[in-house]
Amino acid sequence: MVVFVGLFAVVLTISLLVVAGFLRAAARTEIDEELRLASTLFLRQLDARSQQLVVATRLLSGDYALKTAVATVEHETTRSVLENHRRRIGADVLMLVSLDGVITADTRPVDQHRATFALPELLEETEQTQDPTWVVPLDGGLFRLTIVPVLAPDPIAWLCAGFAIDDRTADELRRLTGLHVSFLRRQGTGFAMQASTLQSAERADLERGLADARQRGVVRIQGRPHVARAEQVAADVLVVLQRPLIEAFAPYNRLFWILAAVGGAGVLLSVLGAILVARRVSRPVLALADAAGQVAAGDFDASVPVHQRDELGKLAATFNQMVAGLRDRERVRAALQRAERLKRFFSPQLAEVLSAGDESVLASHRREITVVFCDLRGFTAFAEAADPGEVMRLLRDYHAILGPLIARYEGTLERFTGDGLMVFFNDPVPCPDPALRAVRLAAEAREAVQKLLDGWRHRGYVLGFGTGIAMGFATVGRIGFEGRFDYAAIGSVTNLADRLCQEAGDGQILISGSVYAEVERLVEAVRLGELTLRGFARPVLAFSVLNLRACPPLPAASSVSTGDAGRAG
Amino acid sequence: MTRRSSLTALLGAVALLAAGGTGPAVARAPSVDATVTDQSGKPVLDAVVTLTPLEGPPSALRPTTAAMDQVNKEFVPAVLAVVVGTPVSFPNRDNIRHHVYSFSPAKKFELPLYIGTPSAPVVFDKPGPVALGCNIHDWMVAYIYVVTTPYFAKTGADGRVRLEGVPAGPYEARVWHPRLRGEAVRPITLAEDEDGRVTFSVTLRSEPRPVPRREPYEGQQQSG
Repeated sequence: MVVFVGLFAVVLTISLLVVAGFLRAAARTEIDEELRLASTLFLRQLDARSQQLVVATRLLSGDYALKTAVATVEHETTRSVLENHRRRIGADVLMLVSLDGVITADTRPVDQHRATFALPELLEETEQTQDPTWVVPLDGGLFRLTIVPVLAPDPIAWLCAGFAIDDRTADELRRLTGLHVSFLRRQGTGFAMQASTLQSAERADLERGLADARQRGVVRIQGRPHVARAEQVAADVLVVLQRPLIEAFAPYNRLFWILAAVGGAGVLLSVLGAILVARRVSRPVLALADAAGQVAAGDFDASVPVHQRDELGKLAATFNQMVAGLRDRERVRAALQRAERLKRFFSPQLAEVLSAGDESVLASHRREITVVFCDLRGFTAFAEAADPGEVMRLLRDYHAILGPLIARYEGTLERFTGDGLMVFFNDPVPCPDPALRAVRLAAEAREAVQKLLDGWRHRGYVLGFGTGIAMGFATVGRIGFEGRFDYAAIGSVTNLADRLCQEAGDGQILISGSVYAEVERLVEAVRLGELTLRGFARPVLAFSVLNLRACPPLPAASSVSTGDAGRAG
Repeated sequence: MTRRSSLTALLGAVALLAAGGTGPAVARAPSVDATVTDQSGKPVLDAVVTLTPLEGPPSALRPTTAAMDQVNKEFVPAVLAVVVGTPVSFPNRDNIRHHVYSFSPAKKFELPLYIGTPSAPVVFDKPGPVALGCNIHDWMVAYIYVVTTPYFAKTGADGRVRLEGVPAGPYEARVWHPRLRGEAVRPITLAEDEDGRVTFSVTLRSEPRPVPRREPYEGQQQSG
C-alpha cells in the first residue's frame, strides 16, 4: 500500500514537472507573442497619435490668419501667431520654415529665426509622404515632428509642429500597454536613454543590457530579468518595451501552484483512500484469517463481524455460516461420542436421549420396573481353579452373548459383577411389556449360555446359569458422586430378583408371582410355591419358566418422555 | 472658353499693331508656333508662352479687362494671362459665397466672402504669377500670370499655341506654368516673312498630394 501510494506520488511529481516544463515553454512563447502584440499595438498607437498630430497641424496650416501672417513676413506677428497656434494643438514647439529651408519663425525660447532648418531632408520627404511625421532628435531631446505645407493655395512655407517625447509621454504609453517604455537615441556606437518609465538606475541597466534585449529579448534590470522588445522607430531611435519576467510569468506560476496543490491533494486523497481500503479490505481479511485460525485450533465459537454488504461482507457471512455448520457438526459428533459411551449402560434409544442432552430422565424417580438378575453357578470355584486367561475368555464369551440380547430387548444394564449382571426394563425408556421382555431375554440367554457352558463342561469345568426375575416399584435414578455415577434401581424388587436368581439352579429361570401374572399366557411355567427368601419376611410365590409358548413380534419400546414420568408417580 | 474671346481680341489688336501700315509693299509680321511638352514628352496644357522683344523701345501695352469666374466651386479659367495693369473682375456664378485671396508677391489681395461680381475689379499692376485661392474651398486654385509683353498666349490641350503678328527681331521666349520647375527661357530671332517655331521641353512638379485640389465629391466634371 505504501509502495502504491509512493509510486503514485512519484508519477504525479514527474507529470507535474513535465507539465511545468511545458507550461514554462508555452508561457515563454506566449509572453514573447504578447510582447510582440503589445509592441505592434504600441507602434500603431504611436502612428495613430502621429496621424492625429498631422491632422491637427494641417488644420492649423489652413488657418487664414496664419497664411496672412506668413505672407506679411512680419516676424513678431508671425511668431505670436505660431505661439497661439502651438497652444491650440498642445505642441511643444511650432516653427515656420521657408520653402528654401530657412526658419522664418519659431516658438522656442531661443528663436532660431533665419537659421537653416536642421532637418532639410524631411522637407523633401514631406512632399512625398502621406504621413509626414518623424521621431527625430532635436535640441538634445527627442521629438515627434510633423511637417505640413502652408498652402495659399500653393505652398508658401512649411509648418513644423514638434511634440517632445519625454518621461510623461512614456508614462502615457505605459498606461496603454502596461509595459515599461523607453526611448533611446543613438550616440556614437551605443544608445543613450532619452525618455523612459524606468528609474534612473534601471535606465543605466537597460542601456548596458540593450544588446541582450535586442538579440535575446531578455535584459536584467536591477538584477531581475525582464522580457524586452526593441523597435526601431526612426533611423537613430529605438523604443524598448519591457516587463519583469516574474510578472509575465505570474499567471503561469499561479497555474503551476494550482496544479501542484491539486497534485498534493491527490496524493493526500490517495493516502486516505488507501487507509480506507485497508480498513475495508485488510481488516476484514485479517479478522477472517484470525477466526479461521481459531477454528483450526478447535474453537468453533469463533465468528467475524459482518459490517459490509460487499464481497468481503458476503465472505464473512459465509464464513460465519461455515463455522456455525462446523459447530453443529462438532456438537453432533460430541453427542454421538457421548451416546457411544452411554450405550454401554443404556439401550441405544436411551443413549440417544441422554446424548441429546436430556438428562432429566436421570433424575431420581419411582417407577414400576421388571428386574432380571442372572449369574453363573460354580463360577467362583472355576475362577479359582482355572487359568486367569480362561476365566477372562469365558466372561468375554458370556458377556458377548448377553450384551447383544440386552440391547435387542432394550433393557437397561444396571451393573456387571463378574459373572452376574442386573438388567431392568421400563426405565428410563418405558416399554409396554417389560415382564415379557425380561422373560424372553432370560429364555434366550439361558439357551445361548447353556450352549456356551456345554463346551466348558466338556473341558471339565462344572458351570451353570441361573436367572431371577421380579417386578415392582423401585426408585430409579442417578447415584454416585462427581466423576463416577451409576444409573441404579433401588428397592425390594431388586433384592427379590437377586434372591430368586440365587434360588435358581442351573438352567432355571425363577420369576415372581407378579411377573408370572403378566406373562402367564405366553410361557409354560411350573409353580414352585411360596419360597422363603432371606431378607423377605413373608414367603414369596415363585414360578420356574420352562418354555415360551409363542413368540409374538417384539413391540418397540416407546420413546422416553417426561409424560411417562407422571405414570411413575 | 468664354474668356478666350478677350484674349483673341487682344492678340488681334497686337497683330494689327505689329502689321503697321498693311500693304503688299510692307513685310508681313511672322507668326510663331510654340510647342510645350513636359519631361515625359506629354503636351502641357495651360502653359503661358511669352515673347519679349530684346531690342527697341518697350512695347506699348494696352490693358483690356479680364475676368476670373467662379463656377461650380472652381476657378475658370485655371490659368489666365494678362498684361500689366489689367483689371480683372471675379464674377461668382455660384449661389454660395467665395473668399478669393492671393498672398503672391505680384498681387496680394482679398475678396472676403462675396456673392455676385464685386463692383471694383482687381488691377494686376505687377508682373509675375499670382496664385489665387478660396479661403473656404481649399481645392479652388487658379493662376493669373501678369506679363510685360503684348506677345503671349496659352497652350491648348495639345501643348501648342500660335502667336500671330510678332514683328521680326530678337526675342526672349519664355514659358510659365504653375508647376514649372526652374525657368524655361530661350532667345529666338524672328526673320521677315518667315514663321518662327519654338519648342519647349519643361520639367513640371507633380501635383502636391497632401491637400485635395479638387472638390472630392462633386468636382469630377470640372476638369481643366
